Amino acid sequence: MIKLERTLLGIILFLAIWQVLAICLDANTIVPGLGAIFSELTGLVGKKTFLVAVVSTLVKVIAGLLLTLLIGLPLGFLLGINNKLFDMFRPVIMVIQAVPVISWLTLVIFAWGIGFRGPIFITFLSLFPIALLTTVSGVRNLDKNLLEMATLYRVPRWQVIRDIYLGSLLPFIVAILDVTLGQAWKVILVSEYLCGNSGLGVLILAARYEVNPAKVWALTFLAVLLGLITERLVKLLFRKVAKRWAI
Amino acid sequence: MGNLIVITNLAKSFDDKKVLDNINLSICKSERAALIGPSGSGKTTLLRIISGLETPSQGTVQIHTRNIGYVFQEPRLIPWRTVEQNLLFVNPDAELEDILAKLRLKDFKNHYPHQLSGGMKQRVNLARALITNPDLLILDEPFSSLDLPIKLEIINDVLLQWQERKFTMILVTHDLKEALLLADRIIILSSSPGRIIKDLTVDLNPVNRKISDPALLSIESDILHVLSSAY
Repeated sequence: MIKLERTLLGIILFLAIWQVLAICLDANTIVPGLGAIFSELTGLVGKKTFLVAVVSTLVKVIAGLLLTLLIGLPLGFLLGINNKLFDMFRPVIMVIQAVPVISWLTLVIFAWGIGFRGPIFITFLSLFPIALLTTVSGVRNLDKNLLEMATLYRVPRWQVIRDIYLGSLLPFIVAILDVTLGQAWKVILVSEYLCGNSGLGVLILAARYEVNPAKVWALTFLAVLLGLITERLVKLLFRKVAKRWAI
Repeated sequence: MGNLIVITNLAKSFDDKKVLDNINLSICKSERAALIGPSGSGKTTLLRIISGLETPSQGTVQIHTRNIGYVFQEPRLIPWRTVEQNLLFVNPDAELEDILAKLRLKDFKNHYPHQLSGGMKQRVNLARALITNPDLLILDEPFSSLDLPIKLEIINDVLLQWQERKFTMILVTHDLKEALLLADRIIILSSSPGRIIKDLTVDLNPVNRKISDPALLSIESDILHVLSSAY
């Protein structure tokens, strides 16, 4: 309870400083008053355009994450068990990691124009190296003694993958989701802003055109809140999985 | 009784280092052999060759069975699987009730490895080897980390299982007393590279041996004499 009280106190203190700054600076374009932000917030929530934007962003976050996991995990697994393949793919992975997002954005606009696919693809490119390299290191950290035990008892390959590999990789998969989920929200918003046709990023862009900083902050606050909620939900799910796998 | 294992002129090197040299050894069905020797004498390497986990650099190894149970030095249990799941991992069709009861694991079948004591984990390690119905049971220093009372309990468990199933057994140990309690034959290896320097028969009742038994103490003294002159 004391912890909660301290957290609440921290939030109140932050809001108070914000309001003082808004009054003192009188710079509405940077630090709008809390009242203006709150009124934008209440105006947004419940509005059809806002709900459609939330759903659109959420679908893109899920699609980007699924694409990252569905390609990153199996490929990471393959590269983890095969050093030759890893050496072959390493330059490509390093290039994907090193290329600035802005270059990908430009190429995506050339290829698909403004639309739904761009933000998902950009998210995938940003998160894929994290998923792949973490999986590779998970496979490499596997307890070789367990594999030797399975070899000695001639346990079928599929069973070894299910019972040993998957169990060993689970903490790494949890870490991947933990890191990528937070990042996915940020990347999706930026790419929606630059090459999307719907979503919260597009609403922020519209607020920019309207020169409405209170709306920008209101949308930012809602995006952060949604990000935190999805993170909490996924963590709750992890806890259930972790309990089942005793990790 | 026929031989289950015949090893001829076996040598094993890792890089340029020879760890085993000129090993000639036959082990009969149902025999209980103990390999003892100093660290680096290649005892574990010999077990790994017999079980097929390593290949010899030279010589031949004939094993007349594919049913091998291996009790590892460290339990090698899958941490996120229960005792029951760990056992079924190596033999999904196994009937577990009997072996769990005999090794006093019945109340722990739903426990995870981290919830078990060291002795319990080694019992699961032993149970896992036994549920494959092995013709050959390999024990690679399985008692080295256990307290004496637990060690004696598990040795007794192994002997009861041997009486029931009459599998061939090879034990690797540093502890001469363990070898004398379990084996009817003691093979002594020299220090690196390991060679067989003595092959002794333990002429005692196969089960119910006691550490304090004068006959056992007398054999122990003879072996210690051999060891002190060999090393």
